[in-house]
Amino acid sequence: MDFFVGIFNDFYDFFVGIFNDFYRTMIEDGRWLLLVEGLWNTIYIAICAVLIGTVIGCLLALCKISKSKVLRTIANIYTTIIRGIPLATQLMIFYFVIFAPFGMDRHLVAVIACGINSGAYVTEIFRAGIQGVDIGQTEAGRSLGLSRVQTMWRIVIPQAVKTALPTYTSEFIALIKETSVLSFIAVTDLNKAGDLIRNATYNAWIPLITIAVIYLLITFGLTKLFAVLERRLSRSDRG
Amino acid sequence: MIEVKNLVKSFDSNVVLNGINETIQKGEKVVVIGPSGSGKSTFLRCLNLLETPDSGEIWFEGEQINTKKCNINRIRQKMGMVFQHFNLFPHLTVLQNITLAPVMLKLQTKEEAEKRARELLTRIGLIDKADIYPNMLSGGQKQRIAIVRSLAMNPDVMLFDEPTSALDPEMVGEVLELMKELADDGMTMVVVTHEMGFAREVGTRILFMDGGNVLEQAPPEEFFEHPKNERLKDFLSKVL
Repeated sequence: MDFFVGIFNDFYDFFVGIFNDFYRTMIEDGRWLLLVEGLWNTIYIAICAVLIGTVIGCLLALCKISKSKVLRTIANIYTTIIRGIPLATQLMIFYFVIFAPFGMDRHLVAVIACGINSGAYVTEIFRAGIQGVDIGQTEAGRSLGLSRVQTMWRIVIPQAVKTALPTYTSEFIALIKETSVLSFIAVTDLNKAGDLIRNATYNAWIPLITIAVIYLLITFGLTKLFAVLERRLSRSDRG
Repeated sequence: MIEVKNLVKSFDSNVVLNGINETIQKGEKVVVIGPSGSGKSTFLRCLNLLETPDSGEIWFEGEQINTKKCNINRIRQKMGMVFQHFNLFPHLTVLQNITLAPVMLKLQTKEEAEKRARELLTRIGLIDKADIYPNMLSGGQKQRIAIVRSLAMNPDVMLFDEPTSALDPEMVGEVLELMKELADDGMTMVVVTHEMGFAREVGTRILFMDGGNVLEQAPPEEFFEHPKNERLKDFLSKVL
Protein backbone atom coordinates (compact mmCIF):
# COMPACT_ATOMS: atom_id res chain seq x y z
CA MET A 1 0.00 0.00 0.00
CA ASP A 2 2.77 2.36 0.95
CA PHE A 3 4.32 1.62 -2.40
CA PHE A 4 1.28 2.92 -4.31
CA VAL A 5 0.99 5.97 -2.10
CA GLY A 6 4.61 6.66 -2.91
CA ILE A 7 4.00 6.46 -6.68
CA PHE A 8 0.91 8.60 -6.35
CA ASN A 9 2.85 11.24 -4.46
CA ASP A 10 5.60 11.20 -7.09
CA PHE A 11 3.08 11.78 -9.85
CA TYR A 12 1.35 14.43 -7.81
CA ASP A 13 4.60 16.29 -7.24
CA PHE A 14 5.46 15.95 -10.93
CA PHE A 15 2.23 17.51 -12.15
CA VAL A 16 2.21 20.21 -9.50
CA GLY A 17 5.76 20.99 -10.60
CA ILE A 18 4.65 21.33 -14.23
CA PHE A 19 1.72 23.46 -13.27
CA ASN A 20 3.90 25.73 -11.15
CA ASP A 21 6.46 26.05 -13.98
CA PHE A 22 3.70 26.80 -16.42
CA TYR A 23 2.18 29.36 -14.10
CA ARG A 24 5.53 31.05 -13.50
CA THR A 25 6.48 31.24 -17.17
CA MET A 26 3.17 31.94 -18.85
CA ILE A 27 0.59 33.35 -16.46
CA GLU A 28 2.65 35.41 -14.03
CA ASP A 29 3.08 39.03 -15.13
CA GLY A 30 0.58 38.35 -17.94
CA ARG A 31 3.26 36.87 -20.20
CA TRP A 32 0.64 34.87 -22.11
CA LEU A 33 -0.51 38.19 -23.55
CA LEU A 34 2.75 38.21 -25.51
CA LEU A 35 1.66 34.97 -27.16
CA VAL A 36 -1.71 36.47 -28.03
CA GLU A 37 0.02 39.44 -29.62
CA GLY A 38 2.43 37.15 -31.47
CA LEU A 39 -0.38 34.90 -32.67
CA TRP A 40 -2.38 37.90 -33.90
CA ASN A 41 0.66 39.26 -35.79
CA THR A 42 1.39 35.88 -37.33
CA ILE A 43 -2.18 35.42 -38.51
CA TYR A 44 -2.91 38.85 -39.89
CA ILE A 45 0.45 39.15 -41.63
CA ALA A 46 -0.01 35.71 -43.19
CA ILE A 47 -3.55 36.52 -44.34
CA CYS A 48 -2.59 39.92 -45.80
CA ALA A 49 0.46 38.37 -47.46
CA VAL A 50 -1.54 35.57 -49.03
CA LEU A 51 -4.08 38.08 -50.35
CA ILE A 52 -1.31 40.15 -51.92
CA GLY A 53 0.33 36.95 -53.14
CA THR A 54 -2.90 35.78 -54.73
CA VAL A 55 -3.39 39.03 -56.64
CA ILE A 56 0.23 38.99 -57.82
CA GLY A 57 -0.06 35.28 -58.61
CA CYS A 58 -3.19 35.73 -60.75
CA LEU A 59 -1.66 38.57 -62.75
CA LEU A 60 1.75 36.98 -63.25
CA ALA A 61 0.35 33.53 -64.03
CA LEU A 62 -1.57 35.19 -66.88
CA CYS A 63 1.66 36.94 -67.91
CA LYS A 64 3.45 33.59 -67.93
CA ILE A 65 0.96 32.01 -70.31
CA SER A 66 0.48 35.12 -72.47
CA LYS A 67 1.68 35.43 -76.02
CA SER A 68 3.76 38.51 -75.20
CA LYS A 69 7.43 37.73 -74.75
CA VAL A 70 7.95 40.87 -72.65
CA LEU A 71 5.28 39.88 -70.12
CA ARG A 72 6.59 36.33 -69.96
CA THR A 73 10.12 37.55 -69.35
CA ILE A 74 9.05 39.93 -66.59
CA ALA A 75 7.15 37.15 -64.83
CA ASN A 76 10.05 34.73 -65.21
CA ILE A 77 12.57 37.18 -63.77
CA TYR A 78 10.28 37.83 -60.80
CA THR A 79 9.71 34.19 -59.92
CA THR A 80 13.35 33.27 -60.46
CA ILE A 81 14.66 35.99 -58.15
CA ILE A 82 12.05 35.60 -55.43
CA ARG A 83 12.12 31.84 -55.31
CA GLY A 84 15.91 31.75 -55.40
CA ILE A 85 16.50 33.85 -52.27
CA PRO A 86 15.54 32.82 -48.71
CA LEU A 87 12.60 34.69 -47.22
CA ALA A 88 14.73 35.88 -44.27
CA THR A 89 17.22 37.53 -46.63
CA GLN A 90 14.44 39.13 -48.69
CA LEU A 91 12.76 40.40 -45.57
CA MET A 92 15.95 42.07 -44.37
CA ILE A 93 16.64 43.57 -47.80
CA PHE A 94 13.14 45.05 -47.84
CA TYR A 95 13.42 46.40 -44.30
CA PHE A 96 17.02 47.56 -44.08
CA VAL A 97 17.66 48.51 -47.72
CA ILE A 98 14.59 49.23 -49.82
CA PHE A 99 12.20 50.72 -47.29
CA ALA A 100 14.79 52.00 -44.79
CA PRO A 101 14.80 55.58 -46.18
CA PHE A 102 11.03 55.82 -45.71
CA GLY A 103 11.08 54.69 -42.09
CA MET A 104 8.14 52.43 -42.85
CA ASP A 105 6.32 50.50 -40.14
CA ARG A 106 7.93 47.08 -39.72
CA HIS A 107 4.59 45.29 -39.81
CA LEU A 108 3.78 46.85 -43.14
CA VAL A 109 7.19 45.85 -44.49
CA ALA A 110 6.55 42.34 -43.24
CA VAL A 111 3.22 42.18 -45.08
CA ILE A 112 4.71 43.52 -48.31
CA ALA A 113 7.78 41.29 -48.21
CA CYS A 114 5.81 38.14 -47.38
CA GLY A 115 3.19 39.06 -49.99
CA ILE A 116 5.76 39.52 -52.73
CA ASN A 117 7.46 36.32 -51.70
CA SER A 118 4.24 34.34 -51.64
CA GLY A 119 3.25 35.85 -54.99
CA ALA A 120 6.10 34.07 -56.74
CA TYR A 121 5.02 30.68 -55.44
CA VAL A 122 1.35 31.35 -56.13
CA THR A 123 2.28 32.39 -59.68
CA GLU A 124 3.83 29.01 -60.28
CA ILE A 125 0.90 27.20 -58.66
CA PHE A 126 -1.64 29.00 -60.87
CA ARG A 127 0.48 28.63 -64.00
CA ALA A 128 0.81 24.90 -63.43
CA GLY A 129 -2.94 24.70 -62.77
CA ILE A 130 -3.84 26.50 -65.98
CA GLN A 131 -1.35 24.60 -68.10
CA GLY A 132 -2.52 21.36 -66.53
CA VAL A 133 -5.93 21.75 -68.17
CA ASP A 134 -6.07 19.68 -71.34
CA ILE A 135 -5.46 21.77 -74.47
CA GLY A 136 -8.54 20.10 -75.96
CA GLN A 137 -10.67 22.12 -73.53
CA THR A 138 -9.34 25.37 -74.99
CA GLU A 139 -9.77 24.07 -78.52
CA ALA A 140 -13.36 23.04 -77.81
CA GLY A 141 -14.14 26.48 -76.37
CA ARG A 142 -12.48 28.35 -79.20
CA SER A 143 -14.10 26.18 -81.87
CA LEU A 144 -17.51 27.14 -80.47
CA GLY A 145 -16.65 30.77 -81.19
CA LEU A 146 -15.67 31.84 -77.68
CA SER A 147 -12.82 34.33 -77.48
CA ARG A 148 -9.51 33.60 -75.76
CA VAL A 149 -10.63 35.50 -72.66
CA GLN A 150 -14.07 33.88 -72.55
CA THR A 151 -12.55 30.43 -72.94
CA MET A 152 -9.99 31.12 -70.24
CA TRP A 153 -12.57 32.51 -67.85
CA ARG A 154 -15.41 30.04 -68.23
CA ILE A 155 -13.65 26.85 -69.23
CA VAL A 156 -9.97 26.76 -68.30
CA ILE A 157 -9.79 28.68 -65.02
CA PRO A 158 -12.67 26.86 -63.26
CA GLN A 159 -10.88 23.58 -63.96
CA ALA A 160 -7.47 25.02 -63.07
CA VAL A 161 -8.75 26.26 -59.72
CA LYS A 162 -9.84 22.78 -58.83
CA THR A 163 -6.46 21.22 -59.58
CA ALA A 164 -4.48 24.10 -58.07
CA LEU A 165 -6.44 24.32 -54.84
CA PRO A 166 -4.54 21.68 -52.83
CA THR A 167 -1.15 23.24 -53.63
CA TYR A 168 -2.53 26.73 -53.12
CA THR A 169 -3.82 25.95 -49.64
CA SER A 170 -0.58 24.27 -48.66
CA GLU A 171 1.21 27.44 -49.78
CA PHE A 172 -0.92 29.39 -47.32
CA ILE A 173 -0.10 26.92 -44.57
CA ALA A 174 3.59 27.07 -45.44
CA LEU A 175 3.42 30.87 -45.27
CA ILE A 176 2.04 30.77 -41.73
CA LYS A 177 5.03 28.73 -40.68
CA GLU A 178 7.47 30.89 -42.63
CA THR A 179 6.38 34.05 -40.86
CA SER A 180 8.53 32.72 -38.01
CA VAL A 181 11.45 34.53 -39.67
CA LEU A 182 9.80 37.89 -38.96
CA SER A 183 11.90 38.25 -35.81
CA PHE A 184 14.79 39.15 -38.14
CA ILE A 185 13.19 42.58 -38.42
CA ALA A 186 11.98 42.57 -34.81
CA VAL A 187 8.31 41.86 -35.49
CA THR A 188 6.79 39.99 -32.55
CA ASP A 189 5.25 37.02 -34.28
CA LEU A 190 4.30 33.85 -32.46
CA ASN A 191 7.80 32.41 -32.61
CA LYS A 192 9.37 35.64 -31.35
CA ALA A 193 6.83 35.83 -28.53
CA GLY A 194 7.84 32.38 -27.35
CA ASP A 195 11.45 33.43 -27.51
CA LEU A 196 10.82 36.57 -25.43
CA ILE A 197 9.19 34.44 -22.74
CA ARG A 198 12.11 32.02 -22.80
CA ASN A 199 14.54 34.88 -22.25
CA ALA A 200 12.50 36.39 -19.45
CA THR A 201 11.94 33.18 -17.49
CA TYR A 202 14.96 31.00 -18.33
CA ASN A 203 12.47 28.24 -19.05
CA ALA A 204 12.87 26.98 -22.61
CA TRP A 205 10.59 24.01 -22.91
CA ILE A 206 7.27 25.45 -21.77
CA PRO A 207 7.11 28.43 -24.17
CA LEU A 208 8.60 26.47 -27.06
CA ILE A 209 6.27 23.49 -26.70
CA THR A 210 3.34 25.88 -26.28
CA ILE A 211 4.00 27.76 -29.52
CA ALA A 212 4.72 24.48 -31.31
CA VAL A 213 1.28 23.23 -30.25
CA ILE A 214 -0.34 26.50 -31.36
CA TYR A 215 1.33 26.31 -34.80
CA LEU A 216 0.26 22.70 -35.12
CA LEU A 217 -3.34 23.48 -34.17
CA ILE A 218 -3.54 26.28 -36.75
CA THR A 219 -2.03 24.29 -39.59
CA PHE A 220 -3.97 21.15 -38.76
CA GLY A 221 -7.22 23.09 -38.50
CA LEU A 222 -6.62 24.80 -41.84
CA THR A 223 -5.70 21.51 -43.51
CA LYS A 224 -9.02 20.04 -42.40
CA LEU A 225 -10.94 23.15 -43.44
CA PHE A 226 -9.42 23.19 -46.93
CA ALA A 227 -10.05 19.46 -47.34
CA VAL A 228 -13.77 20.14 -46.90
CA LEU A 229 -13.58 22.90 -49.49
CA GLU A 230 -11.83 20.62 -51.96
CA ARG A 231 -14.40 17.91 -51.50
CA ARG A 232 -17.18 20.38 -52.33
CA LEU A 233 -15.39 21.56 -55.45
CA SER A 234 -14.73 18.07 -56.71
CA ARG A 235 -18.40 17.16 -56.83
CA SER A 236 -18.39 16.90 -60.63
CA ASP A 237 -15.49 14.43 -60.47
CA ARG A 238 -17.44 11.74 -58.72
CA GLY A 239 -18.01 8.83 -60.95
CA MET B 1 -18.76 27.48 -99.13
CA ILE B 2 -15.18 26.67 -98.08
CA GLU B 3 -12.34 27.37 -100.44
CA VAL B 4 -8.75 26.45 -99.72
CA LYS B 5 -5.98 27.85 -101.91
CA ASN B 6 -2.44 26.56 -101.87
CA LEU B 7 -2.50 25.77 -98.15
CA VAL B 8 0.92 25.10 -96.63
CA LYS B 9 1.57 24.14 -93.01
CA SER B 10 4.67 22.78 -91.35
CA PHE B 11 5.62 22.00 -87.79
CA ASP B 12 9.28 22.99 -87.39
CA SER B 13 10.97 21.44 -90.43
CA ASN B 14 8.24 18.85 -90.98
CA VAL B 15 5.99 19.85 -93.88
CA VAL B 16 2.50 18.56 -93.04
CA LEU B 17 0.43 20.25 -95.73
CA ASN B 18 2.11 20.75 -99.05
CA GLY B 19 -0.04 23.19 -100.99
CA ILE B 20 -3.65 21.99 -100.75
CA ASN B 21 -6.32 23.35 -103.10
CA GLU B 22 -9.87 22.36 -102.33
CA THR B 23 -13.38 23.68 -102.67
CA ILE B 24 -16.25 22.39 -100.58
CA GLN B 25 -19.77 23.20 -101.70
CA LYS B 26 -22.80 23.68 -99.50
CA GLY B 27 -24.45 20.36 -98.68
CA GLU B 28 -21.42 18.25 -99.56
CA LYS B 29 -20.25 15.50 -97.22
CA VAL B 30 -16.54 15.35 -97.80
CA VAL B 31 -14.74 12.44 -96.18
CA VAL B 32 -10.97 12.66 -95.81
CA ILE B 33 -9.06 9.42 -95.42
CA GLY B 34 -5.41 8.53 -95.40
CA PRO B 35 -2.66 6.97 -93.28
CA SER B 36 -1.58 8.46 -89.94
CA GLY B 37 0.59 11.53 -90.38
CA SER B 38 -0.77 12.24 -93.82
CA GLY B 39 -1.91 15.71 -92.75
CA LYS B 40 -5.65 15.06 -92.83
CA SER B 41 -6.32 16.21 -89.26
CA THR B 42 -4.12 19.27 -89.74
CA PHE B 43 -6.02 20.08 -92.92
CA LEU B 44 -9.30 19.93 -91.01
CA ARG B 45 -7.95 22.00 -88.12
CA CYS B 46 -6.74 24.66 -90.54
CA LEU B 47 -10.30 25.12 -91.81
CA ASN B 48 -11.34 26.80 -88.54
CA LEU B 49 -7.84 28.07 -87.80
CA LEU B 50 -7.17 25.87 -84.80
CA GLU B 51 -3.90 25.56 -86.71
CA THR B 52 -2.57 28.70 -88.35
CA PRO B 53 -1.47 28.07 -91.93
CA ASP B 54 2.05 29.12 -92.93
CA SER B 55 0.79 30.32 -96.30
CA GLY B 56 -2.21 30.02 -98.56
CA GLU B 57 -5.76 31.24 -98.27
CA ILE B 58 -8.88 29.88 -96.60
CA TRP B 59 -12.21 31.36 -97.61
CA PHE B 60 -15.50 30.73 -95.85
CA GLU B 61 -18.82 32.02 -97.21
CA GLY B 62 -17.07 34.59 -99.38
CA GLU B 63 -14.68 35.90 -96.75
CA GLN B 64 -11.00 35.16 -96.33
CA ILE B 65 -10.62 33.99 -92.75
CA ASN B 66 -6.85 33.71 -92.31
CA THR B 67 -6.22 37.44 -92.27
CA LYS B 68 -5.74 39.81 -89.35
CA LYS B 69 -8.89 41.69 -90.35
CA CYS B 70 -11.18 38.70 -90.00
CA ASN B 71 -12.86 38.07 -86.65
CA ILE B 72 -12.28 34.35 -86.37
CA ASN B 73 -14.56 33.99 -83.32
CA ARG B 74 -17.53 35.07 -85.41
CA ILE B 75 -16.56 32.64 -88.21
CA ARG B 76 -16.16 29.74 -85.77
CA GLN B 77 -19.72 30.22 -84.56
CA LYS B 78 -20.75 28.98 -87.99
CA MET B 79 -18.28 26.06 -88.09
CA GLY B 80 -19.02 23.31 -85.61
CA MET B 81 -16.17 21.01 -84.66
CA VAL B 82 -16.20 17.54 -83.14
CA PHE B 83 -13.01 16.12 -81.66
CA GLN B 84 -11.58 12.66 -81.31
CA HIS B 85 -11.52 13.01 -77.52
CA PHE B 86 -14.94 14.70 -77.25
CA ASN B 87 -13.57 17.55 -75.11
CA LEU B 88 -16.76 18.01 -73.15
CA PHE B 89 -16.33 20.47 -70.28
CA PRO B 90 -16.06 18.26 -67.19
CA HIS B 91 -16.99 20.99 -64.70
CA LEU B 92 -20.35 21.66 -66.39
CA THR B 93 -23.44 19.52 -66.63
CA VAL B 94 -24.53 18.15 -69.98
CA LEU B 95 -27.12 20.91 -70.36
CA GLN B 96 -24.60 23.60 -69.41
CA ASN B 97 -22.12 22.16 -71.90
CA ILE B 98 -24.66 22.68 -74.65
CA THR B 99 -25.98 26.10 -73.61
CA LEU B 100 -22.69 27.74 -72.58
CA ALA B 101 -21.60 29.11 -75.95
CA PRO B 102 -24.97 30.28 -77.37
CA VAL B 103 -25.81 32.07 -74.11
CA MET B 104 -22.36 33.52 -73.58
CA LEU B 105 -22.21 34.83 -77.13
CA LYS B 106 -25.69 36.30 -76.68
CA LEU B 107 -27.10 34.38 -79.63
CA GLN B 108 -29.91 32.99 -77.49
CA THR B 109 -31.35 33.76 -74.08
CA LYS B 110 -30.79 31.21 -71.34
CA GLU B 111 -34.38 29.98 -71.68
CA GLU B 112 -34.21 29.65 -75.46
CA ALA B 113 -30.88 27.85 -75.26
CA GLU B 114 -32.13 25.40 -72.65
CA LYS B 115 -35.28 24.69 -74.62
CA ARG B 116 -33.23 24.02 -77.75
CA ALA B 117 -30.73 21.90 -75.80
CA ARG B 118 -33.55 19.78 -74.38
CA GLU B 119 -35.01 19.30 -77.84
CA LEU B 120 -31.65 18.15 -79.16
CA LEU B 121 -31.08 15.85 -76.19
CA THR B 122 -34.54 14.36 -76.65
CA ARG B 123 -33.76 13.74 -80.29
CA ILE B 124 -30.65 11.72 -79.43
CA GLY B 125 -32.40 9.97 -76.55
CA LEU B 126 -30.25 11.42 -73.80
CA ILE B 127 -32.69 13.86 -72.20
CA ASP B 128 -32.41 11.97 -68.90
CA LYS B 129 -28.70 12.91 -68.80
CA ALA B 130 -29.32 16.67 -68.97
CA ASP B 131 -28.32 17.45 -65.41
CA ILE B 132 -25.43 15.08 -64.83
CA TYR B 133 -21.72 15.65 -65.37
CA PRO B 134 -19.91 14.22 -68.41
CA ASN B 135 -17.77 11.77 -66.41
CA MET B 136 -20.90 9.68 -65.80
CA LEU B 137 -21.37 9.08 -69.54
CA SER B 138 -20.06 6.42 -71.88
CA GLY B 139 -17.76 7.42 -74.73
CA GLY B 140 -20.52 7.15 -77.29
CA GLN B 141 -22.85 9.29 -75.21
CA LYS B 142 -20.10 11.87 -74.72
CA GLN B 143 -19.44 12.13 -78.42
CA ARG B 144 -23.14 12.42 -79.28
CA ILE B 145 -23.44 15.22 -76.74
CA ALA B 146 -20.33 16.89 -78.18
CA ILE B 147 -22.05 16.80 -81.58
CA VAL B 148 -25.19 18.29 -80.08
CA ARG B 149 -23.13 20.97 -78.38
CA SER B 150 -21.86 22.05 -81.80
CA LEU B 151 -25.33 21.82 -83.32
CA ALA B 152 -26.71 24.16 -80.67
CA MET B 153 -24.79 26.96 -82.38
CA ASN B 154 -26.71 26.28 -85.62
CA PRO B 155 -23.52 25.97 -87.66
CA ASP B 156 -23.40 26.03 -91.46
CA VAL B 157 -20.75 23.34 -91.60
CA MET B 158 -19.60 20.62 -89.22
CA LEU B 159 -15.98 19.45 -89.02
CA PHE B 160 -15.36 15.99 -87.58
CA ASP B 161 -11.84 15.05 -86.50
CA GLU B 162 -11.76 11.26 -86.20
CA PRO B 163 -14.96 11.27 -84.12
CA THR B 164 -15.04 7.53 -83.53
CA SER B 165 -11.33 6.74 -83.13
CA ALA B 166 -11.33 6.95 -79.33
CA LEU B 167 -14.50 4.90 -78.87
CA ASP B 168 -15.01 1.31 -77.84
CA PRO B 169 -16.07 -0.62 -80.94
CA GLU B 170 -19.61 -1.12 -79.66
CA MET B 171 -20.05 2.66 -79.28
CA VAL B 172 -19.02 3.54 -82.83
CA GLY B 173 -22.39 2.69 -84.35
CA GLU B 174 -24.47 5.15 -82.32
CA VAL B 175 -22.16 8.04 -83.20
CA LEU B 176 -22.07 7.21 -86.91
CA GLU B 177 -25.85 6.85 -86.85
CA LEU B 178 -26.22 10.39 -85.52
CA MET B 179 -23.78 11.68 -88.13
CA LYS B 180 -25.81 9.96 -90.83
CA GLU B 181 -28.96 11.68 -89.59
CA LEU B 182 -27.15 15.00 -89.77
CA ALA B 183 -26.05 14.26 -93.29
CA ASP B 184 -29.61 13.37 -94.27
CA ASP B 185 -30.77 16.72 -92.86
CA GLY B 186 -28.53 18.40 -95.40
CA MET B 187 -25.68 19.51 -93.15
CA THR B 188 -22.44 20.32 -94.91
CA MET B 189 -19.83 18.03 -93.38
CA VAL B 190 -16.10 17.49 -93.55
CA VAL B 191 -15.16 14.24 -91.85
CA VAL B 192 -11.71 12.86 -91.15
CA THR B 193 -12.17 9.19 -90.34
CA HIS B 194 -10.96 5.64 -90.68
CA GLU B 195 -14.52 4.32 -91.03
CA MET B 196 -14.58 3.20 -94.66
CA GLY B 197 -18.16 1.98 -94.43
CA PHE B 198 -19.29 5.41 -93.32
CA ALA B 199 -17.24 7.08 -96.06
CA ARG B 200 -18.82 4.91 -98.72
CA GLU B 201 -22.35 5.24 -97.43
CA VAL B 202 -22.52 8.89 -96.41
CA GLY B 203 -19.73 10.66 -98.28
CA THR B 204 -20.53 12.54 -101.45
CA ARG B 205 -16.84 12.92 -102.19
CA ILE B 206 -13.81 11.14 -100.74
CA LEU B 207 -10.35 12.69 -100.50
CA PHE B 208 -7.27 10.56 -100.10
CA MET B 209 -4.38 12.36 -98.44
CA ASP B 210 -0.80 11.27 -98.02
CA GLY B 211 2.41 13.20 -97.38
CA GLY B 212 0.58 16.50 -97.14
CA ASN B 213 -1.08 16.23 -100.56
CA VAL B 214 -4.51 15.24 -101.79
CA LEU B 215 -3.52 12.35 -104.06
CA GLU B 216 -6.96 11.41 -105.30
CA GLN B 217 -10.55 12.49 -104.92
CA ALA B 218 -13.73 11.02 -106.33
CA PRO B 219 -17.31 10.10 -105.44
CA PRO B 220 -17.35 7.03 -103.18
CA GLU B 221 -18.32 4.49 -105.84
CA GLU B 222 -15.49 5.39 -108.16
CA PHE B 223 -13.09 6.00 -105.29
CA PHE B 224 -13.46 2.55 -103.78
CA GLU B 225 -14.14 0.53 -106.95
CA HIS B 226 -11.71 2.14 -109.38
CA PRO B 227 -8.88 3.83 -107.52
CA LYS B 228 -6.24 5.20 -109.88
CA ASN B 229 -3.43 6.30 -107.61
CA GLU B 230 -0.97 3.52 -106.70
CA ARG B 231 -0.61 4.73 -103.11
CA LEU B 232 -4.38 4.70 -102.72
CA LYS B 233 -4.67 1.20 -104.18
CA ASP B 234 -2.08 0.03 -101.70
CA PHE B 235 -3.86 1.81 -98.81
CA LEU B 236 -7.28 0.41 -99.72
CA SER B 237 -5.90 -3.11 -100.09
CA LYS B 238 -4.78 -2.90 -96.47
CA VAL B 239 -7.83 -1.33 -94.88
CA LEU B 240 -10.70 -2.94 -96.80
